Amino acid sequence: MVALKLIPHLLSWAGILLVLLRGYSERRSVVMKTSITGFTGGVAGAIILFRTFPETIPFGSIKTALAVSFFLLWVFSVAAVYSSTARRVPISRRGRFVNTSLCAGAVAFLAGMVAGAICTCRFPATASNTLTFIVLVLAAGALAYALVFCVRIIERLLPPSFTVSPSGMLIAVVAFLLFSSSSILRLDLFSPLSMKVMKGIHDFVHQFMESILIPDHLFVRSVVWKYIGILFSKGVGFWGGMVIWFTPAFLIVLAVNFERLPSVAHIRQGAQRRKLLAAAIKARRHRLVIPLLSVVILAAAAYQSSFPSTEYWDPKPIPISANQSGEIIIPKKGEVNLEDGKLHKYLFKQGDREARFFIMVTPEGQLTVDLDACAICKPDGYGQAEGSVICYYCKTLIPLETVGKPGGCNPVPVVFSVKGDNVAINGMTLINTWGSTVQATTRVKEGGK
Amino acid sequence: MAETIIETNGLTRSYGDICALKPLDLQVPEGEWLSVMGHSGSGKSTLMNLVGGLDRPSDGSLRVGGEDLLALSEDGLARFRREFVGIIFQQHHLIPYLTAVENVMMAQYFHSVPDEAEARTALERVGLGHRLKNRPGELSGGEQQRVCIARAIINSPKLLLGDEPTGNLDNKSTIMVMELLKELRAEERFTVIMVTHNQEVAAWGDRTIYLDDGVLVREERMNS
Amino acid sequence: MKRLFRALFTAGSSRAVPPLVIGFFFLFYIGVAFFTDETLITLMAFTRNSFVLALILALIPLNSVFRLVGETSRFMLMRSTMSGKNKEGLVDIFDEVVEIPVSATVPNLENRLAAVGYKTCRTGNVLAAWRGINSFPVRLFFLVGTFCIFTGILITTTSRSSLREMVVEGEPLPTPDGSGGIVERITLANSSGLILSRNLTMKVTPAVPGSKSREFGLYPPSRYGGAFVYPRYLGLALYLRFTAPDMPAGADTHCFLNVYPPGKEDNVVIPGSPYRVIFSIPEPETGSDRYISYMSDTITFGFKLLKGNDVLFSGSVPGGGEFVRDGFRLALPDVRRLVVTDLIYDNGVLFIWWSALLFCVAAALWLPIRVFSPRREMLFRFDHGVMTACSLAEGRSRKHAGVFHEMLDMIDAGKAGEE
Ligand SMILES: Nc1ncnc2c1ncn2[C@@H]1O[C@H](COP(=O)(O)OP(=O)(O)OP(=O)(O)O)[C@@H](O)[C@H]1O
Ligand SMILES: [Mg+2]
Repeated sequence: MVALKLIPHLLSWAGILLVLLRGYSERRSVVMKTSITGFTGGVAGAIILFRTFPETIPFGSIKTALAVSFFLLWVFSVAAVYSSTARRVPISRRGRFVNTSLCAGAVAFLAGMVAGAICTCRFPATASNTLTFIVLVLAAGALAYALVFCVRIIERLLPPSFTVSPSGMLIAVVAFLLFSSSSILRLDLFSPLSMKVMKGIHDFVHQFMESILIPDHLFVRSVVWKYIGILFSKGVGFWGGMVIWFTPAFLIVLAVNFERLPSVAHIRQGAQRRKLLAAAIKARRHRLVIPLLSVVILAAAAYQSSFPSTEYWDPKPIPISANQSGEIIIPKKGEVNLEDGKLHKYLFKQGDREARFFIMVTPEGQLTVDLDACAICKPDGYGQAEGSVICYYCKTLIPLETVGKPGGCNPVPVVFSVKGDNVAINGMTLINTWGSTVQATTRVKEGGK
Repeated sequence: MAETIIETNGLTRSYGDICALKPLDLQVPEGEWLSVMGHSGSGKSTLMNLVGGLDRPSDGSLRVGGEDLLALSEDGLARFRREFVGIIFQQHHLIPYLTAVENVMMAQYFHSVPDEAEARTALERVGLGHRLKNRPGELSGGEQQRVCIARAIINSPKLLLGDEPTGNLDNKSTIMVMELLKELRAEERFTVIMVTHNQEVAAWGDRTIYLDDGVLVREERMNS
Repeated sequence: MKRLFRALFTAGSSRAVPPLVIGFFFLFYIGVAFFTDETLITLMAFTRNSFVLALILALIPLNSVFRLVGETSRFMLMRSTMSGKNKEGLVDIFDEVVEIPVSATVPNLENRLAAVGYKTCRTGNVLAAWRGINSFPVRLFFLVGTFCIFTGILITTTSRSSLREMVVEGEPLPTPDGSGGIVERITLANSSGLILSRNLTMKVTPAVPGSKSREFGLYPPSRYGGAFVYPRYLGLALYLRFTAPDMPAGADTHCFLNVYPPGKEDNVVIPGSPYRVIFSIPEPETGSDRYISYMSDTITFGFKLLKGNDVLFSGSVPGGGEFVRDGFRLALPDVRRLVVTDLIYDNGVLFIWWSALLFCVAAALWLPIRVFSPRREMLFRFDHGVMTACSLAEGRSRKHAGVFHEMLDMIDAGKAGEE
């Protein structure tokens, strides 16, 4: 039953295989063999990694592989636009290399390997129990076999005029890999990308305005500043991330569109000329299909990463107030057991100011009190997943071991003391810490400087 | 010795009980101008439709331009019609809200891609260089028929079929159209099959066949 | 030597240079991002201090110069080709070149071409036809713009230096060499501009008697002694006199207050005493401008007097007036407007401004040309029984190709007719 969870990942791999088979229609057997080898190798390699190293290393290396593939996609898409708009398009050495069986094999192998590794990441922990492990591998193998079988049939059914350009293959492969990885939180690229982009755009716009000596907002009409303010908002990360996410696909679409039609001026019969042109245009249109489909797949990946389907432990904050001397006292074993390893959220109000915080015990047994917000993101708060808490805003996973330590997107720690069986927090300090944290994360938006 | 462009053996087409075309054996050499005559209902249009790939025979064999039309798929037949045949009917079947040149470009569009310069040249060749931007309603019957000729030849067909193209025209226009077809045939060297009720029109051809109730009854060679 | 030069030029003028350089810096940015949060600033600092990085960045403006040269020479080549003088390298200039055998004469294509809107010119055995507007000038604007923006970025990152100064009414303009004239008056006024809602002017009487007095506005910032005067924030300069019961001699102090926007607090420590005064400007009543106090000459401060960390009392004191209570006395005999100003030494700014202008012009020209009248050209050259026909289109290429093919068909038919 659990093996069903693998279906989206296996489907992604099948999609990759389908596209590659069609792209390398002369080298079907090479693609088939290397892709299957790669996939098995990827699964085996990832299992070994998971067994020998702590989880962060396999996750990190697979994520790096994904990031590199995405970067390569960018490089290729820019190159594609450049070469299709060039005045003369010589059959480049690169073009010929792409068509060798070496290249076909390498692409199929690498893509298969990453796809296999991603599949393994779905069950990093299960790999320790031998029996379930074997059952799982067998079930997954059967599924994969069925899929490969279907892929072969579907590929034969596709009309022969339907071809895939090299850049089309690349984008499809990357899109499928990103789709496959987007449902595994720790492999997800889109959310961290948005985060980085937000920071990058803020920095860049700030530097730019500084460099061309734009006056401060106090002098600028508020309507105008509202528009400039968009560039400093939190949303810019998401939209900027979207742009970066989809641009390669659109560049490839553009590149295909810009491809020159063949020269037909030497033909002296109009109908003949038009027939050649029509064929070229039709082929060009067919080459657009895969990049456009990839846009859809990428969109699905971005969606999955923005609205992950994983369930988090996310308790409703319990309203709480301070006593006479301004202290919040929470019993360790009262209505809620603070030491059960889960995070427990509280909402503290004082006048019209409020602060949200949580208390939890880290795996090392350390009690910690933290704001339900970090120093860099919008205070959307945290949820708890297996082995980590997650910042809802930027989807960063913070290992439980580091909760209670300041920095980055970690929840901001709050000073507290343990008095007997109670946890005591100064209400004033809490409110002030919250105020300065939240202010810090919205400051950029309002001032810009 | 010219190649045979059309070859039929026992070609039959029946609509239920009605047998519009009895088993017919016909050979047309490439480049020939064949006139088809016969009284109304004798199966002339049926023959044209079969040869032009607009209809499928009930029985027999039919090879046009080296292709076995019975063996072609729907797509293949459509491609055959697009690339091999040009047809002119008695009714012009022009699109009323498009100009002459656009009507010709429409044919290019269904064949491959439109090309305005070429469409214009084609209309100039049929002597309509001055009426490019007129709609069919603004053209005389003879002019409309010439637009149809331009439309029929625009994709350089090997075979030009005419189903009573001059049926609605007066004598003078008929002669103009026929002369035009003759000129074009001299340049493009296509094969013509022309259905007509008019003995004089039939006389423009190299050979005339007579159909009666779906049967080839007589055949006559012209000596020009 | 000449071949080496050629190769260098080809590489330098390649279209691939800008994306490669930008890609390189982007990779570098990603690399830096692993180590610090202040990525962009770090990257800029690196570029500033590393000759190699600056050189790599300089490749882009260099490339646009090369391309400027390349495209100009290509344009000249095109002109001489169209007038029949040049017959080399046609394949490089045109989109499409075909050769067809013809009879001795070029048929008359002019009427036909004119009928479809082409202008023609026949010189000897060459017939040139064209229509639409050449986009070469737009390319020039674009390339010069590219040159400017990257030169600007290069200069700014490598050589910008800035000094933060307080420009105070009635005091000399603080320039590094001390040669600034007296700041006569600072005015903040409402403006009805499209972008700016307030206007700030700083009127300065010249240091050298006889020369004209100058006014510094907001945007574009004027230059003074080679530096851009870039006003940043508003503030106030105070002369403050304070006496307390336990401090009968009192104390005088000069201070700068950073109290705008209203509501913001800034504190002044009375020298040699445990006293502190926290000043703020109260929000003006609703309906009036938030900066009304800065615009008018009457400012009333709200203040809190503190001894150590204890608030003794709070109250308000007008500029030029005083506040007395319980033996305490707080007087503000002199309040002056102040602008926190950056003096920025950076010639790159000019380049960036220019590039913005050039890009706007280029875009404003390019779009209508591309949409309404793209350049289309044809050339027919007859040589020893061979017709070389070339065609080029920057837009509407399908229709243009149709006409081109028609001409070729006519030429071919002309040949057939003579046989
Ligand atoms: N779609 C059809 N369904 C049924 N019968 C048809 C169909 N088309 C033609 N027929 C019949 O086939 C016979 C031959 O028709 P056809 O149109 O070939 O005659 P024709 O020689 O072209 O006559 P005309 O000179 O009047 O155009 C007629 O009897 C007609 O009724
Ligand atoms: Mg009929």
